[in-house]
Amino acid sequence: MHNGDFWSLLKTNGYKLGPGTLPEGREPVESKIALTQGTTIFGLKYKEGVLVAGDRRATAGTTVMYDRTDKVLEIDRHSVMAIAGVPATAFEIARVMEHTFKYYRRSQLQELSLEGKVRALSKLLKENIPMAIQGIGAVAPIYAAYDVARKEGKLFFYDILGAGFEAVEFTTSGSGSPAIRGILQYENRWGKRPLAELSEEAAITLTMRLLETAAEFDAATGGSNREAHLYPVIKLVTMEGVREIPQKTLESLYARNVVGRSTAGEPGLGIG
Amino acid sequence: MVYDEPYRWVEAVRNRRDYLEEQLSAGSPIVALPYENGVLMATLGAGTSKLYEVYDQIAFGGIGHPADLEKLRNVVLDAAHVEGFNRSPVDVTVRRLMKFILAPMVKQAFEEVLHAPYIAKIVMAEIGILSAKPLFFHLNYDGVFEEEERGVVLAPTAPMSERMAAFLNAAGETHSLSLKEALQIALRTWAVSQLPADLEAEKEAGAPPSPKELDPLLKRSLESHTLEAALLDRTQPGSSKYRTLSHDEIEQALKGWLK
Repeated sequence: MHNGDFWSLLKTNGYKLGPGTLPEGREPVESKIALTQGTTIFGLKYKEGVLVAGDRRATAGTTVMYDRTDKVLEIDRHSVMAIAGVPATAFEIARVMEHTFKYYRRSQLQELSLEGKVRALSKLLKENIPMAIQGIGAVAPIYAAYDVARKEGKLFFYDILGAGFEAVEFTTSGSGSPAIRGILQYENRWGKRPLAELSEEAAITLTMRLLETAAEFDAATGGSNREAHLYPVIKLVTMEGVREIPQKTLESLYARNVVGRSTAGEPGLGIG
Repeated sequence: MVYDEPYRWVEAVRNRRDYLEEQLSAGSPIVALPYENGVLMATLGAGTSKLYEVYDQIAFGGIGHPADLEKLRNVVLDAAHVEGFNRSPVDVTVRRLMKFILAPMVKQAFEEVLHAPYIAKIVMAEIGILSAKPLFFHLNYDGVFEEEERGVVLAPTAPMSERMAAFLNAAGETHSLSLKEALQIALRTWAVSQLPADLEAEKEAGAPPSPKELDPLLKRSLESHTLEAALLDRTQPGSSKYRTLSHDEIEQALKGWLK
């Protein structure tokens, strides 16, 4: 038996993560192929849990590959993983995670602890190091979960080698993230109220404005597309589980709170 | 005794059939049937779990030796998860798990008379992801399995199984029943197993036992046993549809009933 370890079960079935390493003796070379990349994702803790969002653009070099990417992937009832980096590896890692947690729950007849889940993602990123250092498969994900036992949202971010860090209030990743990291810090410290006290609607509004800003300064981040009714993917992780905000709701919030200037009459974002 | 002579093989198989019937005879039956949101499985037991989640839309129940059940459950679990990962969760179906993995394995163990057989009978249920209809399978210790659409019972002995199945069939189609109604039918079907067998044999075939006969037996059993009930609930958020009924839900369903 595998002690609930899905990864070793996969390995005994001959599975390898990614396309494998270079043949013996070959030097890694700078990739000439433009890899598909996913960008700007972020997570923040609000009143009822954690909000995780991502824009929907996937690029390869200067080409827009796809404008409907879902970068916030539901892993189980109470957790999501958001991906920045190469989708080929990221989707695979998310799939392994999803099955790992399910397999553990069903075979061991108990839920894997949150610590165990956080660690599982570290292990997968570590498996991916050969790919990451060859420059063809780096992923820097965010993992968000609701700890049902402790009744609080938790937020973690990782570097491409698999180091996991817990974020206290918010975290961002991807090429558009520098544009919004500062705003988050500012808003959390000097905004009308700290992020942790935001209502659901205020948190979503802020999210849409942030991604709009990231898209303004980063070509790899897609903004909202009103003609095509395309808005960012926003998922909430709360006591009740993972919930995706429908595009229809985002559409009306966008029209009300994102287009044009805030009517709140205060300097700053006027969120609250 | 040596069983390697060909003409003794039939005898050996008969012996092990007797042995297995004997071993299984004390098991508590499991009832599985469709209801409005999917599948309900229920049993009364001494506390050890009999119902399990196998995959997103597949549930597993068994009576027999706990270690054997655990082994078989793990085999199904491994196969389902590797398949679901390598292909897609949609490709993990109860039919394939039963026909290509579980049944051949149980049959082989049963027929290898020099090795121990599995002391187990198994029921599996599925709510289709693509098809709307639930599907049920039950598997005997010798590898014989049957496919059902209306719900199944898994009982230790064949006569008990027949009596329970007859009662369940007499209840008619359960696909559109509420959880409460389905649970009542499941429990009364279970209670059929508690009727004295000789009394049943005396009665002319035809009329199924009435609630008046069953409810006192059921009431007594509920006091001394643990009710275990699990659902494959299509309305659950996320991909996993299995859940166990909470204490509150069971209380709610039994309230005002069985006075």
